This record gives sequence, structure tokens and C-alpha cells, in this order.
Amino acid sequence: MTLNRTRRTLLAGATATGLALALAGCGLEGVDTGSEASADELSTVEGEISFATLELSSNPDLAAYIEDTIAAFEEEYPGTEVEWIDVPFAGAQEKFAADAAAGNLPDVVNMNPNFAQPLEREGVFLDIDQADPELAAEYVEGAWKGFQVPGMEGTFGVPWYLTSEVTMYNAALYEAAGLDPDDAPETFAELYEDARAISEAGAGEFYGLHPALENRFMTDLAKIGVPLIDEDLVWTFNTPDAVEYVEGLAEMYQSGVFPADSLTQTLNDAKEGYQAGNVAMFPSGPNFLNGIEQNAPEVFANTRVAPQIAAEGEPVNMSVMGLLIPKTSENPGTALAFTKFITNAENQLAFSRVAPVLPSVTAALDDPFFQDDSDGTELSKAVKLSAEGLARAENLTPVQYDDQVKNAVLAKIQLALTGDLTAQEALDQAVEEANAITGGGE
Amino acid sequence: MRPRRLVTPWLLMAPALAVALIFHIVPFFRTVQLSFTDFRLASGGQYVGLENFGALATSDVFWLSAGNTLIYVVVAVPLLVTLPLLLAMLVQPKIPGMAFFRASFYTPVIASMVVVGLIWVFLLKERGPVNWLFQTLRIVQQPLPFLTDATLLLFSCILVTVWKGLGFYMVIYLTALANVPGELHEAAQMDGAGGIRRFFSVTIPSVRPTMLLVGVLSAIAAMKVYAEIFVIAGPTAGPGGQVRSMVFTIREVGSGFDGQVGYAAAMSLVLFVFTIGLTVALQKLSRENAEA
Repeated sequence: MTLNRTRRTLLAGATATGLALALAGCGLEGVDTGSEASADELSTVEGEISFATLELSSNPDLAAYIEDTIAAFEEEYPGTEVEWIDVPFAGAQEKFAADAAAGNLPDVVNMNPNFAQPLEREGVFLDIDQADPELAAEYVEGAWKGFQVPGMEGTFGVPWYLTSEVTMYNAALYEAAGLDPDDAPETFAELYEDARAISEAGAGEFYGLHPALENRFMTDLAKIGVPLIDEDLVWTFNTPDAVEYVEGLAEMYQSGVFPADSLTQTLNDAKEGYQAGNVAMFPSGPNFLNGIEQNAPEVFANTRVAPQIAAEGEPVNMSVMGLLIPKTSENPGTALAFTKFITNAENQLAFSRVAPVLPSVTAALDDPFFQDDSDGTELSKAVKLSAEGLARAENLTPVQYDDQVKNAVLAKIQLALTGDLTAQEALDQAVEEANAITGGGE
Repeated sequence: MRPRRLVTPWLLMAPALAVALIFHIVPFFRTVQLSFTDFRLASGGQYVGLENFGALATSDVFWLSAGNTLIYVVVAVPLLVTLPLLLAMLVQPKIPGMAFFRASFYTPVIASMVVVGLIWVFLLKERGPVNWLFQTLRIVQQPLPFLTDATLLLFSCILVTVWKGLGFYMVIYLTALANVPGELHEAAQMDGAGGIRRFFSVTIPSVRPTMLLVGVLSAIAAMKVYAEIFVIAGPTAGPGGQVRSMVFTIREVGSGFDGQVGYAAAMSLVLFVFTIGLTVALQKLSRENAEA
């Protein structure tokens, strides 16, 4: 019995040691960065590639568009084959990280700049400026810059589709508050003034605005001209202007301009509030209009759109989605050709007709589709407004503003809103925490 | 004959062993390994010795997370040990219609925590049904900030954990109660013991091992709390991040391409040690009680 127990203990010990030793040999390397493609490889367009998108297949029209575009590419380039993979947004980062570590990333990957930045920094993706120096001139400048990494030469992705928000507002709630729905807010001061009037009229039944800190806090700071992060990647957004802005937010939260529960809520709650007719204003991309039409036809009927608000001389915000080619791709020439093909003016225009997004190539933006709102619908007006805004649009969210930084910053701002910290204390602490996470100033 | 006798059991166990090895044992050892590194998914890492553990010891966020997790355990576990037992006794009698109540109490167990969390967010809103009820009954003058005050948020999350776990532990207790010999109750009754006396003198001693099991299971579950906090307190874990649990912080610092996986692994290891320590302490406490 004793012998058996000793043997069992020994066996367990040996197994554990074996596993520990085996794992000690397990690598601590990061992602597989592959090697730069040669000119020959880049000019060879043949063979099979995989193409990963982020949650596009749930819309049948969009799925059909992608499949048709792939078929057209395969027809134009005989001998090529594109396998389409659609990845759900939740968990995509983990999947791509595992793929990148194994050197198995799809040949063309759809990511936004924040998503892509840590991998770009490690040198995972092809430098498009080197691979095709002519390409940059064809794309919206602000969008092209989205795939550049501070302190590094090159551009590591091609912008694909863009969204630029407009101010959506509920005309019925404007009227209920005695405001003129034809007089949309054009400045932050007017936005907050309207919000205050509407919330007072709503008396808890409806509100003027949901702060949606998660989505808007950092970009709103940029829109009033606050410098968010400097060239040395040190966060710098605790300026007097930012203090004044946060003091304004805190005053509005404490006096009931924003819903009380909005403090800890997310963008989704702000969307739901607008769709439920409980919130009068919601800045968002035109693509949200389709959702309102489907989920809340009555609110949709009352919805009007106005240009995105930013301080004079400051940029407006746009969200960028791009396509990146990992250097581990076995057919980088095909991947590059496909990236150029699906982002060309013709294909992006077709994309924008299926989903209310904006193209990243300037040639497509000149199409009357983005200039003509004569049908009188709010959707075409929203598309026109957001397309017009692109000229001064930038991806205002710094690529270093990932979830961890965002939560650390917003946690402090929440305390400023409740009055537990002053605006200055909250911003100072937020900057300190953000720098601690991203290594700013080290 | 002998080799075959040796091979067959291993063959039968192979699938389960493979699952355990791939999904539990290897990840555990990998976590131990990573806890001594500064590994990040994108950039990789190097061995840094005990640096992560040193950083944890001086991290306010870690101690806040550990403190909240401890509060969670101290409040939720006693409730999850006692309330399901009372519930089980309530639905134990075999009378018509009781199956409906047993099924009803079990329903939250099947529902996803996210759905349950969202339902409670609706109930606990400033202008939600709970505040309406409290104000109508004049229990409070002003609505209670269940979703924006750090203390109330923590207790709101605990409430949801307890509410969702009631049915699960009730079923465990139902099995234990069915095994309590009826003669014991009859004998106690003949000796003149009332319902309360029988509960403490017959029921509790008979289900004590089950109470320990429920205590251990609920303590482990409370140590791992995450979804309730994310859904109810939001992605910042309440204003100022004051409601964060250990798993919440582990996920926050360790996820994403740039996540500090090594640091998160070190925190996971500390959580593992806390959990084992708590389990052993509960067992010891129970043994001492039984011997007393």
C-alpha cells in the first residue's frame, strides 16, 4: 500500500515535472512577423488567399456583395482563389492574436487602426507605402494615416470603408421641449443648451443627451482642440480646456441633464435610449439610421440629421476600417491585388449602396450618390453630410487608446461626474494611469 | 493477459485524460510559466523572476480587486449556503403543483448570466421597478442609485449572483434532504421537538456534508465572479473602477494584443492559491465543527 502510494506520488511528480519542463521549452516569442515580400512576389497574382472580415456576413445583402466581388476578382485574375472568413467582432482580437502567434493570419485581414496597431508595431504587416508607392494618393488622407504608427516609417494597411458621424435628433422631443426642430445644434454650446432644455421638459421621462463616455469622451476632447497624446506617446489631455469641458459634463450630470444611470452605461445604452424615444440626440454614423428604421419606426419618422459638431478649425471624427496583409502571407501579390480590387472606386461605391458607409477612395466620393440628397430622405442627407465632413475628418481616437486605457481614463472621469474628484484631479489621475499602462514618458 | 489488463483502462480513460491535459493541466502549467514573464501577445516576453508578484503586492488595483472578491465571498457564501436550504425545504413536500415552483426556482440557473444581469439592470435602474416599489411603499424618498454608487453596485452584483445560484444549490439540497431518514424526524417529534428544533437538531446535522459542499462550490464561484460585474457595473467596473473583482482585473489587464499576459497570469496564480486556501479552510472549519 505504502509502496503504491509512493509510486503514485512519484508518477504524479514526474508527470508534473515533465509538463513543467516541456512548457519551459514553450516559447515566449510574440507574433510571427514573417519576412518582407520581394518585388517578384508582389507582382505575382495567382494562388489561393484567405480574406477575413469583421462581422459582415450577418447582413445578407452585404454577404452577397462580398461574394460577388470575390467572384469578379477571381474572374479578372484567373488562377486565383479567395476564401472568405467572417469573424464575429467579439473575440476577434484573441483569434487574430493566436493566428499571428502561429504565423497563420489570413492573407488579407479586416481591422480598425486601434486593433491593428500593436501588431503593426511588431512589424507583422506589409508596408503598403513600399509595396505600392502610388496607392496613397488615391485614398482619403486622414484614413490613410490611420494605419501609420507613431515613430515608425510606412503605412501598414489600406483603408477600406469609413463612417463619419452626424448629429441625429428626435424632432418630436425638440417640439415637446418648445425648441425649433429646424434649428439643429451646430456647436457644443448649442448641443448642451438644447440638451438642458429637453431634459428639463422631460422631467425624467426623457432626456436631451446621453453622454456615452465610452464612445465620445476622448473624441470630443479632440474636437474641442485638446491635444490627446504627444509625439513621444505621452498622454497630455489634462489641459485647462479639458478641465473646463469635464467641469461642464459634471455640472450637467449632477443637475440631471444626463440620465442618472448613464454614468456606468455603454454606447449600447445610449443607442437604446435614442431608439426608445427617451433620449433626444444621438451622434452616430448614418449606418445607425437603418437600425432605427427597423427597431423603432416611430422614432425613425421623427429623426432629423445635422452635421457633426466640432469646434471651429478642429477636425471632425471618422471611424476607419482597413485591410492589412501579413508578411507571413504565401501569396502577397494576390493579397495586394485583392486589397486594391475590393477597395477600388467601383467596388467601394457598390459597397456604399448596400450599406450606408463611406468609401475610402476619393474617386468614389465624387460620385453623385454621395452628393445628392434630393430624394428628401434623412438617410441620403446623412450620407451627404458625412461625406462632406470627410474633407476635415480624422480618426481622432489615438491608436493607443485601447480598452484598458479607456477604462482607466473613464473610471476617473466618472468620479469627476459624481463630484468625488474635481475635474483637474480626475484628468491628472487619468493621464497618469494612461501613461502607466502605455509606458508614456518612459 | 497482464498487458491487456493494463492497456484497457488507460484506453477507456484516454479521451477524458486528453481533455483534462489539453484544456486544464497544460494551460495551468503554462499560466505558472507565464506568471514569471513579462509576456504580451504581440511582443512576446522574457523571464522576470518574481517581478510580477512584487508589482501585485504594491498595486492598489490588485488589493481593491482582492478586497472586493473577499467581500463577495463573505456576503454571498453564507447566503448561498442557507437560503437554498430553506428553499429546498419549502419545495420538498410532494404536493400537486410543487414541481412548478421547483422548476421556476431553477430557471435562473439555466439562463445566461448576461441575460440575468441585463434583467436586473432594468429592475434596478433609477426609474426602474425596484425604485418605484420602494418609493411607492415610502421606504425611500429618493431613488436609490443601485447602478451608480460603488457600494450599492457591489451589493447589487452579489444579489444577482445569489439569486441566480439559488436554484442550483436548492437541487443539491433536495437530494440531501431526501436522504435524511424520516425516522429521525419522527423520533424527534415524539420527543416533543417542534419544527425549528427539528431543523437545527435533525436537518442541519444530516445535511452538514452537503452544506460544506455548497459552501466550497459557492466560494469558488464567488472567487471567480466576472460577468455580473461587467454587465451591471459596466466596463469600468463601476465609477472609478471601485467594484472590480480579481477575475475582472485579470481579464482587463491580460486581454488584447497588448495585454500584460504575464502580469495577469501572476494574478491568476494568486487567485488560485486564495481559492485553494479558502477551500481547505472551509473543510477544516467544518471538520472542527463536526468533531465539537
